[in-house]
Amino acid sequence: MFRFKLLGTLLKINIQQELAYRADAVINLLLSLMWLGWELLGLRIIFSNTATLGGWGPGELLALLGVWRFVNTFMAALIWPNTERFNTSVRDGSLDYLLLQPVNSQFLVSFSRIVLWRAWDIVLAVVLIVVGINIGGTAITSANLASFLLLTVTGGLILYSLWIVLIACTFWFIKFDNNVTILQALLDAGRYPSTVYPVWLRLIVTFVVPIAVATTVPLQALRGELLWWQVLLFVAVSAASLLIAQRVWQAGVRRYSGASS
Amino acid sequence: MLQIYRRLWQVNWAEQWQYRANLLMYLLFWLVSPIVYLAVWTTVARTQGSVNGLSANDFTTYYLMLLVVDNLTAQITIHLLAYKIQDGTLSGELLRPVHPILTNTLMNNLAFKALMLLVLIPVWLVLCLLFRPDFSSVTFTSVLLAVPAIALGFGINFLLGAVITCVAFWTTRVFALNEFYYALLVLFGGQFVPLDLLPAGIQQVAQYLPFQLWLYFPIQLLLGKLPADVVIRNFALSIGWFIIVLLLFQWVWRNGVKRFSAVGA
Repeated sequence: MFRFKLLGTLLKINIQQELAYRADAVINLLLSLMWLGWELLGLRIIFSNTATLGGWGPGELLALLGVWRFVNTFMAALIWPNTERFNTSVRDGSLDYLLLQPVNSQFLVSFSRIVLWRAWDIVLAVVLIVVGINIGGTAITSANLASFLLLTVTGGLILYSLWIVLIACTFWFIKFDNNVTILQALLDAGRYPSTVYPVWLRLIVTFVVPIAVATTVPLQALRGELLWWQVLLFVAVSAASLLIAQRVWQAGVRRYSGASS
Repeated sequence: MLQIYRRLWQVNWAEQWQYRANLLMYLLFWLVSPIVYLAVWTTVARTQGSVNGLSANDFTTYYLMLLVVDNLTAQITIHLLAYKIQDGTLSGELLRPVHPILTNTLMNNLAFKALMLLVLIPVWLVLCLLFRPDFSSVTFTSVLLAVPAIALGFGINFLLGAVITCVAFWTTRVFALNEFYYALLVLFGGQFVPLDLLPAGIQQVAQYLPFQLWLYFPIQLLLGKLPADVVIRNFALSIGWFIIVLLLFQWVWRNGVKRFSAVGA
């Protein structure tokens, strides 16, 4: 309960912060729409030259684009801004104050900055997913739909866990400013089904930086390509990764000795 | 003057050399999207035999060449200069008797590029082993012709980047403007797909815009894919755009610095 109240307060602070930069929000909104236009044009070009991409139709790729944009929004609204804040707080020592708060430090580090106007992108992502599923036309069972939603969430949790581990690494290697660059760079690879990639790239986006687990995998569930035990496996993996991330974070905080002292 | 450039090169090389560990990370940014598109289009080309006359090998060579050309013609001016304009540290450089952008910033760009190339080459060779491109269409003449094309292309891109950065004299939102510029480059430069695949209307426009002059044009020139008349037209366009952009840059710089001295004191 306390956590929700805290989250509410953080949201309020972020709304106030953002109201100071209204024009920036509008400009960023337009840029995000422009990129969407480019992505849709890209799909149009692909499907004006072929009927399927590695067995995936236009509807499915549209839905995949929606899921990707959902993940991307999650990153842009929460992960990147909080990384920036965390890295600054390590450098200037203000992390000490955050650690002294009587709240779970991982929670505070994860949610202290929320870029709210990005919520609009979630609406766009949902529209893309719904339209994509409708164009796809194939009958989708409610079981497939449920596992799709479930796997989108678990994929997000796995990426979140990876992020916590990456920024916790800063406690060991002090000069580690580009701790999340690898995540940012590989994010683009989630836009298309990982099944069309060469094997080595598929292995990277599945096991090293599991972008595909949050994008391609949910879509595979929607297409009914995953067996029930595979879905359960992903749920188990996400729970395990959350747990590992928490452990790594705690070990990192114990190691931390402050920048200012 | 040459001495000045040599000195600045040494300073900037040493400065960039400090960040060599970060380079591998930046390289990832450069690599991922061309490789993704390479994979997507070769998949399509293999199932169809060819796309619009382009074979799987055409796409492989195009995107692998893109990695090299993009590195040679890219610029990072906004990251080097925008904060100096915003926090006023540019004034130190303005006191020097040489143009800060055309000397220091230019050399810093080149040092970054040279260092990046050192990292890119081994990675690129590994990619060639993985994708096995057939570069037989590349000839000695095509490489020779591509050298001035790449130099002119970099010149235009560098000056446009400087113009965008100089907008920081007027507003703080230059990074949004830069993203807009980058979005145009992705589409009209041929980064996303070879221009031949764009819808006819966009293709027509892209032909005359400057963006393709430092990506699509040098790539296809290197690969020996362009007929003579298109090569001549693109060289003429390059020279024309270079002059236009140079004049634009000088105008923006002159007015920007005037404004800067008014506010920055």
